[in-house]
Amino acid sequence: MMQWIAFLFFASMTLLSALGVVLLPNIIYVILSLLSTLVMVAGIFFVAGAELVGALQLLIYAVAIAVFYILVLTAVPWEKALKKDSHYRVEGVLTFPILLAFYLEIILVFLLGISVSPKGQIREFIQSLGNTQVVGSILFSKYFFAFELVSLVLLVGMIGAVIIGRKEDKTYEDSSP
Amino acid sequence: MEVLIILFPFIAFLLIGLFGRRLGDLPSAIIAVLGSALSFLFSIPALLKALNSPFSVKLYDFISLGSYTLTLGLYFDPLSAITTSLVCLVSTMIFIYSIGYMENLFGQWTYKFYAYLSFFLFSMLLIVLSDNLLGMFFGWEGVGLASYLLIGYFHQQKYATNSALEAFVMNRIGDWLFLFGIFSIFYLFGNLNLLDIFSKVKEIDPNLLGLAVLLLFGGAVGKSGQVPLHTWLPNAMAGPTPVSALLHSSTMVAAGVYMVARLYPVFESAPQGLKVVALIGGLTALFASLAATSHTDIKKIIAFSTMSQLGLMFLALGIGDKNSAMFHLTTHAFFKALLFLSAGSIIHAFHHHARDIYEVGGLRKYMPITYATFFVGALALAGIFPFAGFWSKDLIIASSYEASFSLGVFVSFVSFLTAYYIFREGFVMFYGPERHKGHFEEEPHEAPSVMLVPMVVLAIGSAVVGFFEGWYMDALKEHKEMHLNIAISSVAIALLGIGLAYLVFVKRFLDPEKLYQSLKPVHTTFREQFFTERLYHKILAGGYMLYSKVLYATFERQFIDGVVNSSYAVSSALGSLFKGLQQGRVNLYILFLLVGFSLLVLITFLGGR
Amino acid sequence: MKIVPLEAYLILSLLLFGLGVFGMIVRRNLVAVLMSTELALNAVNVAFVGADSHLGLVDGQIFALFIIALAAVEAAVGLGIIVAIFRLRKVESSDELTDMGG
Repeated sequence: MMQWIAFLFFASMTLLSALGVVLLPNIIYVILSLLSTLVMVAGIFFVAGAELVGALQLLIYAVAIAVFYILVLTAVPWEKALKKDSHYRVEGVLTFPILLAFYLEIILVFLLGISVSPKGQIREFIQSLGNTQVVGSILFSKYFFAFELVSLVLLVGMIGAVIIGRKEDKTYEDSSP
Repeated sequence: MEVLIILFPFIAFLLIGLFGRRLGDLPSAIIAVLGSALSFLFSIPALLKALNSPFSVKLYDFISLGSYTLTLGLYFDPLSAITTSLVCLVSTMIFIYSIGYMENLFGQWTYKFYAYLSFFLFSMLLIVLSDNLLGMFFGWEGVGLASYLLIGYFHQQKYATNSALEAFVMNRIGDWLFLFGIFSIFYLFGNLNLLDIFSKVKEIDPNLLGLAVLLLFGGAVGKSGQVPLHTWLPNAMAGPTPVSALLHSSTMVAAGVYMVARLYPVFESAPQGLKVVALIGGLTALFASLAATSHTDIKKIIAFSTMSQLGLMFLALGIGDKNSAMFHLTTHAFFKALLFLSAGSIIHAFHHHARDIYEVGGLRKYMPITYATFFVGALALAGIFPFAGFWSKDLIIASSYEASFSLGVFVSFVSFLTAYYIFREGFVMFYGPERHKGHFEEEPHEAPSVMLVPMVVLAIGSAVVGFFEGWYMDALKEHKEMHLNIAISSVAIALLGIGLAYLVFVKRFLDPEKLYQSLKPVHTTFREQFFTERLYHKILAGGYMLYSKVLYATFERQFIDGVVNSSYAVSSALGSLFKGLQQGRVNLYILFLLVGFSLLVLITFLGGR
Repeated sequence: MKIVPLEAYLILSLLLFGLGVFGMIVRRNLVAVLMSTELALNAVNVAFVGADSHLGLVDGQIFALFIIALAAVEAAVGLGIIVAIFRLRKVESSDELTDMGG
């Protein structure tokens, strides 16, 4: 019962915050809404019993990524940019029916039955060992290769972000050899 | 061994065609002469063998179509063997003659001329010797092609090229009918081989056979220049004189007659077909002789004479007398070629400038040998004893009197006209005032001996071949008697014609110019071939051009061009449409991604239901 | 542990995802577009974790982990690009960035 209430609370807050992200005109409000969404989603993870993922979500998303966004928003002088309408009206109206159709499709897909995967083999382990240990054991045995790949992608992304965001040297404007 | 008869000219054609440039013109001419002479030599033993027992030589299997195989082969029986020797002999003479005639053109790629001539000889022999209708058709087409190439040999003159095209197109119409004839023969008999056809001819319904026969005869009409496919023959004189002598008098145009004679058992079983043959033959004979009396071009008169004599041959075939038609073909080859060669000698003497008989005159004392050979040929054509024409024409006149009296009178009238016009030409050219003094600077001189020798040989032939009539008839297993009264009357009628020409043109009994003016309308009608040529040009050719123009302006321009142009417009519009989808804005791309993804889901998950 | 049914998680995930995509299409500011992308990724995570709790496996959580890591990378690179664009052209909306259009 408690779970159900918690879930409903977190779910509704998530949706409200998401609506805020999409609809609010002021960009700072949008960032705050995003932060709120991320925290609520972490709550949903905890309700579902995925403690490790929920904790990591809080750490990485709600802290690192949100801070990164705020940094960019404030460090770049947006006043020098052109001020325009914050939303595209026409595309918005156009997207609505398409989105509805998409929803319908997915619901249909679900209702028509998807192949059922195996049910609950390691529920006892989770209950005995705790979620984190189980995740750790599976991660480093079965998904080891993927783990390494992701760390490689992280490395590449880091280097790429640094290079792209760097300030250009203006030494060759004087055209002196 | 007999296949060499066909192969010699073909090898000559290949040699001259491929290496003529390097060999030069005179060696090419000698190769052509050798090809033809060797064919003649090899045809003699074949002839002797075939007289007693006809035999076939299988060459090879062409295409096998399930139950029937198309083959190529040769068939030697008296008819084909004699015609082969005749064709080879006349060809050899004319090839030798052409060395002298084309001499002033040596050095201008004249080897082409000899290549075409050898090719022509090969095709002609294929027609004569082939043992099935397919080989005959190959040869038929081949001589048509050779005719086109040779008539248009002086390809820088527009008149020559137009005549060549006209000849080819009219031949084509005939060939088309001939082809349908072959199809119907195959449909009726299931076989194209001559011997098989002859054996089965009694079993076929005569009405269907009549239709096939008419179609086949259509081919002969085109090839031999009979009415209504006749307008090309006088215009074919645009080619060099050896061509006129070989193709358009003795051999190619005779192929039509030969074909009817060859397929005679088929024709005999369809009597209404024979009636059509006779009708067209007779009509052409009269028509052409009337035209010949009013023309003044040296070679055209002789061309019309050819048309007329062929008409007589078809008439003879139509009334049931194949052998006299073939014998007349044989003698006609000699004297007609001779007449053309003499005319060519005159043209050559004036360095190819002479065209009209009224441009020359009194050549008797300048060119005695030509004079003698021309008159020998003319006497043979008119049918005076003892020259060859007398014997063969007499047979035809006799047969026509046997068929019906009026037909006999008709043929006698045609021979009267024949004698008149040929002697008219002879008298105007060789007697009378020397009109050429005003026209040309050249003094006429006798032809070189390389030209004279063949003319003399053919003259001897025209004189002597008639005496072989008995032997010829025996070879073809027929016996005919000479009717003395018909012989005398035909000679008398011919002498009348000659006498009329003599009186008018030599003794000036009736002034030809005044007569000409007073009879102008009659005269012009004859001359314009009863306006058939103008009719064809205006209505058939002009009508087709009009139709093409109309079709071009409407169908071609609007429909086809419209389709092509509108495809540009359509693809341009589509392109603009798709261009509009790509704004460059990321947001729109995401929208398209969404659309595409939903479609994908639709197809994958929900489509299989 | 199975009080919250699977359908609830999936409906939530679907709505969040739809909102995220809508935001990507509708918003003019490029940073806002990236933020909507984060929203969509989170929706996917919710779906994974929800299915995981229903079935009693942990594979979904591991995949959610990977997604979080990669989302971080993507945000970093994307923001770097936006900063570079701003420096070059002094614009922040995608209206003026239509060089690749027809």
